[in-house]
Amino acid sequence: MTTQPNAPYFIDFPKRIKNIQEQMQKENIDVYLGSRLRTLSWTTDAFFPWRSFIVIPPEGLPTAFTFVIDAARAADDSWLGEDHVYGFAPMGGQDQIEQISDFIKELLKNGKGRVGVESGMSNYLPEGWLTHYEYQQFDAAMPDAELVNAHTIVDKLALIKDAGTINRFKEASRIVDVGHQAVFDAIKDGGYKGMTETEIAGIAALAMRRAGSEWEWSFTGGNEIASGYRTGYAGGACTPASRREIQAGEPLMVDIHATFKLGLGDHAHNYLIGPATDRQRWHADNFVSIVKKTLETYRAGITPSLLAEQMMDFSEQGGFADYMVPGYEHGIGLLGDEWRIGLNDGPFPFWTNPDHVYQENEVLICAMQYACPDENIGFRYENPIVLFKDHCEEMSKFPLAIEEIA
Amino acid sequence: MAEKVKYLSPEWRDEAERRLTAELPPEKMNFVTSSMSNIYRNCPDGSEKYLYFKFVDGKFAEMLIGEGESPKPEFAITGNYETFAKITRGELNAQKALMTLKLKLKGNMVKALRLASLADRLNKVLATIPTDY
Repeated sequence: MTTQPNAPYFIDFPKRIKNIQEQMQKENIDVYLGSRLRTLSWTTDAFFPWRSFIVIPPEGLPTAFTFVIDAARAADDSWLGEDHVYGFAPMGGQDQIEQISDFIKELLKNGKGRVGVESGMSNYLPEGWLTHYEYQQFDAAMPDAELVNAHTIVDKLALIKDAGTINRFKEASRIVDVGHQAVFDAIKDGGYKGMTETEIAGIAALAMRRAGSEWEWSFTGGNEIASGYRTGYAGGACTPASRREIQAGEPLMVDIHATFKLGLGDHAHNYLIGPATDRQRWHADNFVSIVKKTLETYRAGITPSLLAEQMMDFSEQGGFADYMVPGYEHGIGLLGDEWRIGLNDGPFPFWTNPDHVYQENEVLICAMQYACPDENIGFRYENPIVLFKDHCEEMSKFPLAIEEIA
Repeated sequence: MAEKVKYLSPEWRDEAERRLTAELPPEKMNFVTSSMSNIYRNCPDGSEKYLYFKFVDGKFAEMLIGEGESPKPEFAITGNYETFAKITRGELNAQKALMTLKLKLKGNMVKALRLASLADRLNKVLATIPTDY
């Protein structure tokens, strides 16, 4: 909880709630029932790992609801305090459906009104959309209320990042760089010998925790490490560390994650464990060149499809288009928000709109994958970037390179 | 006192107040400020009654028994008269009654957890009153 307005990580959460309430009024929503992890993070400033909900009234403070065993901790972490964080449990009157529907009915006039819910789909498993069962139960428990889909209210407000959010991402990224340095120090000069992917993930985790990280947040396996053929999976954007031993003559991909006040660090760095062949070096140089080109191209005003087009042209000219996965980003926000770019306004519902026009102070993960399964080699780049009018800023500052480790 | 008093009668209320004041000093109630209502449904005479307690800084402050709507408490526990009677007679555990939907609790569960031991202390004192249910 950061409450001083001049503090670098300050976020004006009461203002966020007022902004939601203004939108609710415009859309004739009497009460907002949020269930997504991203909504909980964005409104409460606390981590809600269990199934949780937030009820936002037309005015005044919201109230969060979570599994009772974690409610006191969540209340302590949140700016809301214990009077506005309730715990639910399998007890008479205290299960989540009855507790929350009773709470909402007291906010509605005679139990009547429009209740905004969050209904949709995602590739990101911990998203937290209202389930079909929950919808049915809430609908039955509030017979005089109308449940309407309203997630766009939060999505629109969360799109452009404020200074406190960006600073939290920058600090999480600084911590990730500490992790990368620890990994480099551990594997160089033959240190990699006998080391497994899981051990590298742990070395990074320890260094980042020492530097203040709260969690290796990624649901794709925490710190993702891939070595040898595992770097070159087709599409290859998820490699939870395995017990595979690092070998000479193979590539090594280190994609590590740190959390700082719900801000997320996410940076992937690549190595060639020597001796590297000319062909491996060629692949590595291709990848570094396209990452540089992509980072030079990102700015406000560009769209995902335009950027992809330019980068595929670049890779075609370089003779390595066959190895590029044609995607260059994924969305990011405070913990729980790791899916599409922008709003749900593209041709495929709940996927990134390829024609989304980036705006200043949007934050995304520049995410690129190079995969050559036939040669057991691949690379990944990820880095949170903030967009400006004519450039982007990479938040993780670990130098871009693919070093050959002796 | 050996003679039984009728549960929730004015005599029972007076005896409950006397015992709670004598046996639960503020330090035993952790100096808590809170209020709680037991809502009794299906009483033997067919009515719905409430038993309302209030503690201020751990001191027993108020106890009301009545019909109809209770003063607004911090916690409200609703159930059948017979369920409450079984709990007071020690025949049913209050937590089990909650977990089997025989009782319903309204109020902040996190705070209720912190007050659970105090509620037990209070119920134990009330259980000592020779009562005719």
